[in-house]
Amino acid sequence: MGSEAIVAAKLQDMLEARGVSRRSFMKLCGAVAAAAGLGQIAAPQVALALEKSVIGAKEGKLYPVIWIEGASCTGCTESFAQVDTPDPATVVLEMISLNYSETLSAAAGWSMEEAKEQTIHAGNYILVYEGAVLEGWGGHALRVADKPGTEHLIEAAENANAVVALGSCAVNGGWMGAHPNQAGALGVQQFLEKNGVNVPVINVPGCPANPEWLVAVLVDVVMMNKLPELDFMNRPKVIFGQTIHDNCERRGHFENGEFVYEIGSKEEELGYCLYPLGCRGPQTYADCSVTMWNHGRTWCVRAGAPCIGCCEANPANPGQNWVEVNTPFRNRHRDLRVGPLVFQPGTVAIGLTALVAGALVVHSFGMKKTGRTDGGAPFEKIRRWDEKNPDKAIGKYDDIDAVIAEVQRDREIAEKEKTVMAERKAAQKVSANKAQEQAKELNAAAQARIDERKAAQAAAAKEAADVEGGQE
Amino acid sequence: MAHLAHYKEAHPLPFVITHWVNLIAMIVLIVTGFCIHFPFWPLFESLARGLHVFFGFVIFINCVIRVVLAFFVDAAPTGGTRKKIKDIWMWLPQKDNRHQAVEWVKYYLFLRKDHPLGGKLGVPQKISYIAIAPLIIIQFYTGLCIWAPVMNTDLCAWAVALVGGPMSMRIIHYFIMFVFIHIYLANVEGTAPTKLMFFHEEHGGLTYDPDTHLIDGEDYSVGHH
Repeated sequence: MGSEAIVAAKLQDMLEARGVSRRSFMKLCGAVAAAAGLGQIAAPQVALALEKSVIGAKEGKLYPVIWIEGASCTGCTESFAQVDTPDPATVVLEMISLNYSETLSAAAGWSMEEAKEQTIHAGNYILVYEGAVLEGWGGHALRVADKPGTEHLIEAAENANAVVALGSCAVNGGWMGAHPNQAGALGVQQFLEKNGVNVPVINVPGCPANPEWLVAVLVDVVMMNKLPELDFMNRPKVIFGQTIHDNCERRGHFENGEFVYEIGSKEEELGYCLYPLGCRGPQTYADCSVTMWNHGRTWCVRAGAPCIGCCEANPANPGQNWVEVNTPFRNRHRDLRVGPLVFQPGTVAIGLTALVAGALVVHSFGMKKTGRTDGGAPFEKIRRWDEKNPDKAIGKYDDIDAVIAEVQRDREIAEKEKTVMAERKAAQKVSANKAQEQAKELNAAAQARIDERKAAQAAAAKEAADVEGGQE
Repeated sequence: MAHLAHYKEAHPLPFVITHWVNLIAMIVLIVTGFCIHFPFWPLFESLARGLHVFFGFVIFINCVIRVVLAFFVDAAPTGGTRKKIKDIWMWLPQKDNRHQAVEWVKYYLFLRKDHPLGGKLGVPQKISYIAIAPLIIIQFYTGLCIWAPVMNTDLCAWAVALVGGPMSMRIIHYFIMFVFIHIYLANVEGTAPTKLMFFHEEHGGLTYDPDTHLIDGEDYSVGHH
């Protein structure tokens, strides 16, 4: 106990020099223990491990870490490095030796690359990879230090104790892999498997990944000297084992049927459930509501934004990136894509239903017209097959030839009836035409007579007028 | 007019019961399913979820029972007869239906005037009814895959990953619910088959001999006609 007390006192000095109280340090240890799935009860154990590690730092035994940027927005680094005052996270950062980081390292250029190479050569380090791996253009989109990004990743991963794929992009391409994925983005795990690099990959999705999730993983690997327990997608089980919905602070409103249907409504003001606004909480695995963000102050749903499922990332399939799977975020369903067509499942459902209903309505008119609605049409006297293949007939007839003869006679009669009807119709048409022509002729004759009479009348009237004029 | 007699033997009592259970469960599942998908009736949401899960199990267990019963219960293989055989034989191709598939389609499309002879169910009808059983089982499974208590277990997780995540699973679950054709075809030639199925009410008509595969007479001694 004596030596432990000395270690604790040494650490206390270090913390105080950085403005961190013992109290907030123990709080961090509790949070880290919980995040690592150990429960609050393990907080002293974590504290001891951290203390030893930090003291170890003084003696130059820090765990080396290489942090490579892939196709990223650096958001995960930002998320990890946003420390406004000396903060417990800073202390935790000091349990590792960040030997290479494009964003955070003060040095740059040749000396940095050399530091990386030395670290790789020495081995026994962790690789943190942020952003998607780009296979497109031969990996040249991420060309650094005269080598394609893909080569850098393979080199750094081969000798690492473990690779942390940090953020959804690193897990399966993320939004870099969204349609049409021209850059050929994919996740670290899939890329390494394809290239035969056999190294444990720990997937920590999120956009960005929560800094405390990385801390939890580092505590496991660096302090406890073990990989965290992973699920079938190689995600830490304790972090990604339950859905947002399971631990959501608005869950009570969901159960009560109290929903926000519109941003800016009274319901929103009351903090009701965001499910109708397309919240992806029920299908997104992450402990955001437990860990929270910005030093545990808040998280998306508390801030009033429906979950958009940024932690959904199947490492084996870049097509299942969270953007493609969840957009449009405000709809309850994702968009489906067939070639250039983009549509909602609901549209297809309504279209199909309308089509089927329409077809059935049309069909029912047909049934009515053919008189089938009252018990159906009369049954056939013999199966068509039996008629054509009397020797292989299905039905057992007393005298199949007689039935066939009868059916054929019936058919002939029907045929004859049809011809007679057609002829009669044609004849009717002819006679109707003839009658029409006769009527036309009669009309013309009558018209001629009328015209004649009118002309005669006009002539007579003129004659009478001339006679009158002559008399005057 | 020219239909076969509708005898109780076509739908023995156990099948009338499973059919009723199916109908009630399907209606409840469709209504609650829409309410869960988008909570336009918020106060019903919680109850809807409870009912949806409960009747999901009801329809699945009912489906299993119906399939098992097929091996034990006798039923008439065609309309117009009181002769019975094991129900499972009617799940398989029947001689009464042989060479009639195309004829049935032609009949439905008004390309022939007289009614094809056949088993209790015409060929297209039979295929669609048999498809109901696997559809119920698939629908039950996809439902489990998006049901919180089990969706993350070994039973479901692999399938969720296979189809591309819970969202895709939800969309598949959403699309599997076409029962309109079933209801339509059962009723379009009059309500007699429905009355028999639901209320065991018989109806006279032509009689059919499943041994000769032919219509062999008339029977107007039962029910009204």
